[in-house]
Amino acid sequence: MFNETVLKEIEEIKAKYPERRSALLPSLYIAQREFGWLSHEAMECVSKALNVPEAMVRGTASFYSMYKHKPVGRHVIQLCTNISCMILGAEKLVDFIGTRYEVQPGGTSPDNRFSLVIMECIGACGTAPAMLVNTDFHENLSEKRIEEILDKYK
Amino acid sequence: MITLTINEKEVTLDKPVSVLEAARQAGIKIPTLCYHEALKPFGGCRLCVVEVERMPKLQTACTLMSADGMIVKTESEVISRVRRGILEFLLINHPLDCPYCDKAGECELQDLVNKYGPTVGRYKEEKRKVPESHKDHIFARNMERCVVCTRCVRMCNDVQGASAISMMGRGNHTRMEPFSADSFNCEYCGNCLTVCPVGAILSRLYIHSFRPWQVDSEVKTICSYCGVGCSLVAQVRDDSIKRVIPEMGLGVNKGLLCSRGRFGYEFINSRERLKTPLIRKKGRLEESTWSEALNLVAEKLSEIKKTEGGSAIAGIASPRCSNEDNYIFQKFMRMACGSNNIDSVSRTGFAAAQKYFEELMGQGITANIIEGLKNSEVIFVVGGDPTSVNPILGLSIREASRRGAKIVVLGNAKGLERFKNVQVIPPVFKEADALEELLAGVSGARGVRGEKPDIDRGISALSGKYSGKSDIGGLEELKNALLDSPSTAIVFGMDLVQRADGHRAIFAVAGLTYLLEARLYLLSEKPNEQGLIDAGCVPDMLPGARPLNIHDFKTKFETAWGGAIPDKNGMTLLEIIEGAKNRDIKALYIMGENPVFNLPDGPFVKEALGSLDFLVVQDIFTTETAEFADVVLPALGWSEKAGTYTNLERRIQLQKKAVNALSGMEDWKIITEVSCKMGYKMAYSEAEDIMDEIAEVSPLYRDLSYREIGKGNCLWPYHGEPLRGEIHELPAMAESSSGNYGADFYLALEKPLFHSGTLSRRSPALMKICPEPTLKISSAAAEKLRLQEGDRVQVSTSVGSVEVAVSIDESIKDNKVLLSNNFEGKGVFSLLTYKLDPVTKAPGIEGCEVRIEKL
Ligand code: SF4
Ligand code: SF4
Ligand code: SF4
Ligand code: FES
Ligand code: FES
Repeated sequence: MFNETVLKEIEEIKAKYPERRSALLPSLYIAQREFGWLSHEAMECVSKALNVPEAMVRGTASFYSMYKHKPVGRHVIQLCTNISCMILGAEKLVDFIGTRYEVQPGGTSPDNRFSLVIMECIGACGTAPAMLVNTDFHENLSEKRIEEILDKYK
Repeated sequence: MITLTINEKEVTLDKPVSVLEAARQAGIKIPTLCYHEALKPFGGCRLCVVEVERMPKLQTACTLMSADGMIVKTESEVISRVRRGILEFLLINHPLDCPYCDKAGECELQDLVNKYGPTVGRYKEEKRKVPESHKDHIFARNMERCVVCTRCVRMCNDVQGASAISMMGRGNHTRMEPFSADSFNCEYCGNCLTVCPVGAILSRLYIHSFRPWQVDSEVKTICSYCGVGCSLVAQVRDDSIKRVIPEMGLGVNKGLLCSRGRFGYEFINSRERLKTPLIRKKGRLEESTWSEALNLVAEKLSEIKKTEGGSAIAGIASPRCSNEDNYIFQKFMRMACGSNNIDSVSRTGFAAAQKYFEELMGQGITANIIEGLKNSEVIFVVGGDPTSVNPILGLSIREASRRGAKIVVLGNAKGLERFKNVQVIPPVFKEADALEELLAGVSGARGVRGEKPDIDRGISALSGKYSGKSDIGGLEELKNALLDSPSTAIVFGMDLVQRADGHRAIFAVAGLTYLLEARLYLLSEKPNEQGLIDAGCVPDMLPGARPLNIHDFKTKFETAWGGAIPDKNGMTLLEIIEGAKNRDIKALYIMGENPVFNLPDGPFVKEALGSLDFLVVQDIFTTETAEFADVVLPALGWSEKAGTYTNLERRIQLQKKAVNALSGMEDWKIITEVSCKMGYKMAYSEAEDIMDEIAEVSPLYRDLSYREIGKGNCLWPYHGEPLRGEIHELPAMAESSSGNYGADFYLALEKPLFHSGTLSRRSPALMKICPEPTLKISSAAAEKLRLQEGDRVQVSTSVGSVEVAVSIDESIKDNKVLLSNNFEGKGVFSLLTYKLDPVTKAPGIEGCEVRIEKL
């Protein structure tokens, strides 16, 4: 179950909307922060805190691909492979990350350090290839740059 | 008035409806997939597209409201092309496994593709793969077949109110799933199954066992489980019921069912069914012939009547039997045996409450239409969870809540957790106080009504008692909700009747009904609790609820029945049991009832039955009670015979015969045979003849016939006249209980949704949904006792103890722990004792202080 502080946070969100269902998305983010991903337990907690049926919570959560639907590593790499990034070699970068950090698209490295998610365009076509690590933005990627960047995430 | 033109046909509507419904009214069929008459329009599948003049694009008929002057075309070359296109898209992922799918033959997708094509798809890639899920005991879920119409989810959310399933994922991967992905943690109403247009949700009860077109007959009948009396259709093949389905728009339930009605029918095929009469010989029950058994019963009863007098004989009737059975039963007891000692297990709740309410408020006070609940502004629920005792009635309360009604609850009501606005949980044994205090508060604000002097006096007497500030939290809020309401319904469950001061609770609720001019509904666990009373299976009233001690009524019946009815009022149920123990009662005839299991203080009941000289039990199973019998007679069950039932609204309905039983005889028939042998002639060739007699003698059922009942809507009092409210002196009320109620936990009776005793225990499907009893405890109790879900505990009271698993129930907020009375050897009644309510004669549950030890 959520602790008191988290419950208070959710109460505050709830107070902003006339319908408690409207507080679902922000509450799911909180649950994801607390549990690392949207586990069954996390969704159950949201359901209880909001008094919204569990199935409805899961239905809503499963619609959005940017929630974490399975456990992830300590850092999440979101690499774009859409057209601009692809032309500038994003696919090679996927392979590079795969060998260097032992993490395949959609997976997590054995040391639980990185998870790799392949993204649709993240709006950085002008400075492609680009990726997000957690919430930090990185552009003009090359194998070398990736190594420099990722070494900072332990 | 709206007039529009559809396919060149002028359609006039009295109220605005969608173009789709307008077309249906005019007999024009527009194909649909996501539309369902029981649900709100959704506009998802686009199959219902139509052309509307002066509208630029095709419109979905299910969401478009009709407007005056509209000109609509429902078929055209373009429309056909669009429909074909939509279907082609749907078939991209649909597995087309019709030969193997149980829905084939009644599948909406199959029918649509058959009509609109395409015959070949152009899509060559892989179809999506979602393995069929067989993990649930009842539902087989095949999401490859799902067409994402969301009908199931809308049914579950917006109608059933269980919200157990949802559309998961998005785009191509969208599918319906329950929260747990494997099994459904839901109410198992199966209403999602009714609305699924394809074979994506199927019932495992009949999967792969027949084809929809192989049904020999369809019998429209009613459910045998509770006092709502839902209409359903039994589909029969080879003289056995293949499945039970609802019919949209039909009956009280309008196409909805609950788990018991839909999945609980298999008990009739139970291997435990009695096959032949049994006679006790040298201490053991042995098979015998009908004539030997019937002769023995007649002989013994005659002998006891002769030596001890009729008053040494008693009978227990059954709220599971029909009006005809019960009418014959009481006539037999009164005329052949010469005894008014007739009662039923309904005395533990409905019969006790119903009678007292009528005494206070006049006959018919409880006869209100369930449908009407939906239009109430405030619904006050007290003494039980309507969604589990009478599930379909419970749905009306949920619907009212969705329409904006306030739901106020006194006590626990699990199924209304997400729907209630105010809840008050009074301390155990203080429930009647809470209700009295509420009544005093309401009368303080409203004043007396002045129409019923005795009730007014009773109410005034309470004002003094509760003048201080209330120490029950929330009562003030509850009172204000009631006072603000322009239209109130009160739904009264039987939990508070089972208190030694239950009559105080009933008086308080009657007082509230009176002051608030509310409509009163009594929850009724068994299908014919009302009919039983109306048929005269009570110790002090003749059929039509005519008091025995009013001379004119009595002589009227004596003339009709040709003989004398004993003068004195008979004994009530627990007086009969106590009488057996004291040897005032020597012989007992039990029809379709299991008092050893269904009454508190089982050991005492057993001892009492053991002291009898002669016990006859007539049933469809060898019950715990039958074990004590001298003669056991096999009866017929639901779907094996015809008979009428009177539901809790006092609607009289016909239960029809659908199959032939392998053994057994109608209850009424067995009794008439015994009666004839005892010298009181009763001869009827069919149940219908008995109804004809009832219609002649019972002032409430005048002119009633099977033909009339078959037409539907036979509501009490059918052409008859009720007794005008005659209020007599209020009986003395018990004092507020002053005992020391300091125990940590109190044991209370749970009424589970999936069970109802003897029948449900023999229904494989219901046993799969809920296989064993659990002790429901609050999360606070779990913490205090260091218990986790599924831990096994020993539950002990002063009279007994059982071992069960615990289950944590968030809806329990006080120090109650709940156990049902549905499982052999583990019924809550075996742990409780009772004290009679002096007014209603219902057993007040006592001895519920409970110890819980972890094993
Ligand atoms: S069976 Fe009833 S409660 Fe369960 S998912 Fe279907 S509609 Fe909902
Ligand atoms: S399971 Fe059936 S009712 Fe539910 S969305 Fe799929 S096709 Fe529609
Ligand atoms: S609500 Fe009652 S009558 Fe209706 S299906 Fe359920 S058990 Fe049967
Ligand atoms: S294509 Fe990669 S950021 Fe737009
Ligand atoms: S029936 Fe109208 S859109 Fe589905």
